Parts: sequence; C-alpha cells; structure tokens
Amino acid sequence: MEALIIHSTDDTPDVIFDPENNIFKISKISVPEDAYEFYQPVIQWIKKYSQDPLPETVMEFDLEYVNSASAKQLIQLLMALEDLNSKTKLTVKWFYETIDEDMKMLGKRFKNLADLNFEFVEI
Amino acid sequence: MFEDNLFDKAFNLFSRVQQQDFEYVYRGFFTHNITKKILSLADLNIQKSVPFSTIQKRIYYIMVEGLQNISRHQDELSEGNDKYPGIFAIQKQKNRYYVTTGNLVLNARIPDLKQKINKINSLDKEELKKFHKDILKSGVISDKGGAGLGLIEMARKSGNKLVSSFELINEEYSYFYLQTQVPTNKKEEEDSEIEELKLRKSLISIKKLHLSLIIENIIVYFNGFFNQENLLSLLAIIKGRLNISITTIRLSNVMVEMLQNIIKHGKIDEEMSGVPGIFFIQQMENDDFKLTSGNYINAETSDEVKEKIDYVNSLSKEELEEYYDKILLDIDNISSKKSGLGLPDLRIKSGEKLVYNFHKLEDNLYFYILQTTVKSKK
Repeated sequence: MEALIIHSTDDTPDVIFDPENNIFKISKISVPEDAYEFYQPVIQWIKKYSQDPLPETVMEFDLEYVNSASAKQLIQLLMALEDLNSKTKLTVKWFYETIDEDMKMLGKRFKNLADLNFEFVEI
Repeated sequence: MFEDNLFDKAFNLFSRVQQQDFEYVYRGFFTHNITKKILSLADLNIQKSVPFSTIQKRIYYIMVEGLQNISRHQDELSEGNDKYPGIFAIQKQKNRYYVTTGNLVLNARIPDLKQKINKINSLDKEELKKFHKDILKSGVISDKGGAGLGLIEMARKSGNKLVSSFELINEEYSYFYLQTQVPTNKKEEEDSEIEELKLRKSLISIKKLHLSLIIENIIVYFNGFFNQENLLSLLAIIKGRLNISITTIRLSNVMVEMLQNIIKHGKIDEEMSGVPGIFFIQQMENDDFKLTSGNYINAETSDEVKEKIDYVNSLSKEELEEYYDKILLDIDNISSKKSGLGLPDLRIKSGEKLVYNFHKLEDNLYFYILQTTVKSKK
C-alpha cells in the first residue's frame, strides 16, 4: 500500500504512514482551524490500511500542541484503529514531555475511550 | 479587583480600537526571536490595511529601526532592570500609521538623544539626506548608541518629524518614548501644526496605555484583528516571552483555545479577514496568569455561547469530564469547525469557573468578554 506523507505546516502536523518502512507517526503541532479537513485523508488512509495491515503496527503520537478541534478528529482516528486490533498486533505510543501535563492527560483520556493497547513515553 | 470591573477594563482598552482603525501593542522584553515575530505579526496586519506597497515597505523599515533601537538600549542596561519592560505599538488612524516605541534608557544618555532628535527635526528633506551621508563618511558609528543613523532613517522614511518624550523612573533610568508617523495616502497634505498635535495626542495615549499595562502587569496585549495567522504569531511570542514550565505550557494551550474561540464566534470583518478584538495576559503576584479576550458577537451567537458557559460552569469536576468525553465522541457535528470542546476544555484547564460578560451595544451587537485563569504550578 502506498505511504501517506503529509509535511507539517505552522499549524498542522507531520504525518508519516509508511508500511514499507514500518513507520506510523504523527508529530509536531496540530492546531488548525479546520481539523476535519486535515484529518479526513488521514482517517481514510487508516481505514484502507486496516483491510490488509502488517502483522505488527506501532502508531506513534508525538505532538507538541493539540487544540480541542484536533482532539475531536484524533479520537475518530483512534476509533478507526480499533478495527486493526483483530488483524495486527497494534500498539499506540503516546509521547509527552515531563512538564506537559495537558498532553499526558489527553493521552489518558484517549486510552480510557478507545479499546487500544496504549504505551506512554515520557520524554 | 479586576473581576469586579472586568467589563469596564477590557472594554476601555478595546474601545480605543473604535477610534483607531487598528492597533497592535506588544509589552515585554525584546529578544531577537520575539522581535522577528512582532515584525511578522505587524506586517500581516499592515499588508491588509495599506494599499500601497511602497508605503508598506516604509512602515516596515521604520518598525525594524524602532525595534533595533530598543534592543540597542536594552543591551546597555545593567542587570536587575527587568521590572521595566518596554512597549512597541503600531496604530492606524484614518490615513496614517503611527509606530511608537517605549523603552528604558540610562538617564545619562538623555541629553545626547535629545540633541540628536532636535538636530534631525531641524533639517529639511535635502539637509537630512546630506546629514546622513556626512555621518556615513565620517564613520562615527563605533559606540553602542550609534551616531543616530537609526533615528535619521526613521525620520527620512516617514517624511515627518520625530516625536519623543522621556519619563523619569529613578536616579538611573527613564522611559524613552519615540513616535513616527507615516501617511498611507500619498495625496493628502495637511496643516503640519495640526499634524504635530495629533501626533502628540497619540503619544500621550500610548504612554497612558503603557502605564495601565504596567499597573495591571499585563505581559502581552494585542488589540487588532484575529485570525489563524495572527494566532500562530502570538503563540510564538508567548513561547519566546516566558520560560517553559508546566504553567506556561498550559498557558499556551489555553491561549490557543481562547483565540480560536474569538475566531469562531466573533463577528468577522471581511475586509481585514479577521475578527476585531482584544486579548491580553496578566501575570498575577502569585504567578497565576489571567487571560482575557473581548470581541463583538451577534445576539443569536451570544445567547448560544452564554448558555454553553453557564452549563459548563454548573458542572462538577466529574460531570465536566463526562461532558467533555460525550462531546469528544459526538459525531453529529464532526465536520463543523465548532467542535464544541473549546469552552469545556478551558474550564477543565483553568480549574475554575469561566468569567464572562456580554454587553449590549446595539440591537444585534454585543461585546463578549471571557476571562480564564491558569494557576501557577511549581
């Protein structure tokens, strides 16, 4: 399956979904006004990937800022990932800086709402 | 004390913008990075409001010189003067732009500054050009204060006199205010004496504003048009202005939600492609931060927002968490730009009830003020 690469801007994150190299990562800043528009292709790609995934998938979230509008789309992305549970050994890695309590809290919230194997990484 | 007259304070600050088409004020310290961001933020606004690119460039040069002037003076000050942050302001009034800087200088430098400004103001256009050349030739630009080349440039680019004023602070320091004006309309020629009076009036208003920002300990103040681009510049300024800590990271998060709240609910000015409004951050004595936003809103939206804030405020901590999750998972409005999470998010992050005020201005026009607190965590 073809990789999805979206380069970051001042208010949207880097997205690398690359099955060939086994990298699945969303990083940097996510504070767009229209989060729906940005995350639509990202969620669509995951839905397609879930039809025939790799045996093991590690999805990394390494974000510095997430506005509430993006949080609403990220939960949809996580829900789409739930479909992968039965087909691949899936781990969600949630990175947060020691002093960033809000990012840690958001990860915990997602963990409680989604049926996914979460791993928290303090950096 | 601020809550009691929250509306008066915020609206008084904001109503300045009704008399002036546009205003952007930064109060704080001027590092290289912050200076860059201030310039880009100011430039975004100027590009939208000035029709001629030659005039845009002129204003830009004047801003650069003014900001460099500030950092030059800042460099020569000794440690322990961080109680006295400077101010940088651009204002647009009808057909002219005002660029004002206010910064701490050593009292010992005042006579020299006064003399340079008087000399520059005494020269006409041609003489100023020659004076500039003479200084460049003689090469007297070694000392920190420079030979006044920055001041000459500002006078030449603006085509107007420099207006200055000094406010004594103590035995060692004074505030040095400097203002230049640039007409944005090429044709307009007005009585120069009246022009100078207008300039003086504008300088007095900036000095007053600076004083109230100092008294309220407002560390960042923006009065102008809000859109996503401005939000990103303000965010970068905040990041450069404060040391990174648990508190300031939360402050940035809260700020993003508040500014996007303005952008989403406020009444848009199509011409400026932004929402006119005000935003400022106060640092309290206990190191808590108070963030205040104010913007116009129509009656229908104001009812909607008021109802939502009241509801969010009525919830207990646990109920609030449940409500947040419910909205987070709600897919009915999934494609809407209004996620519905902004206000509950602000309430959770500030840990306190949201303070607000809606003031009726006209039948279908309200001024909406929102205030949140970010508690200091050590």
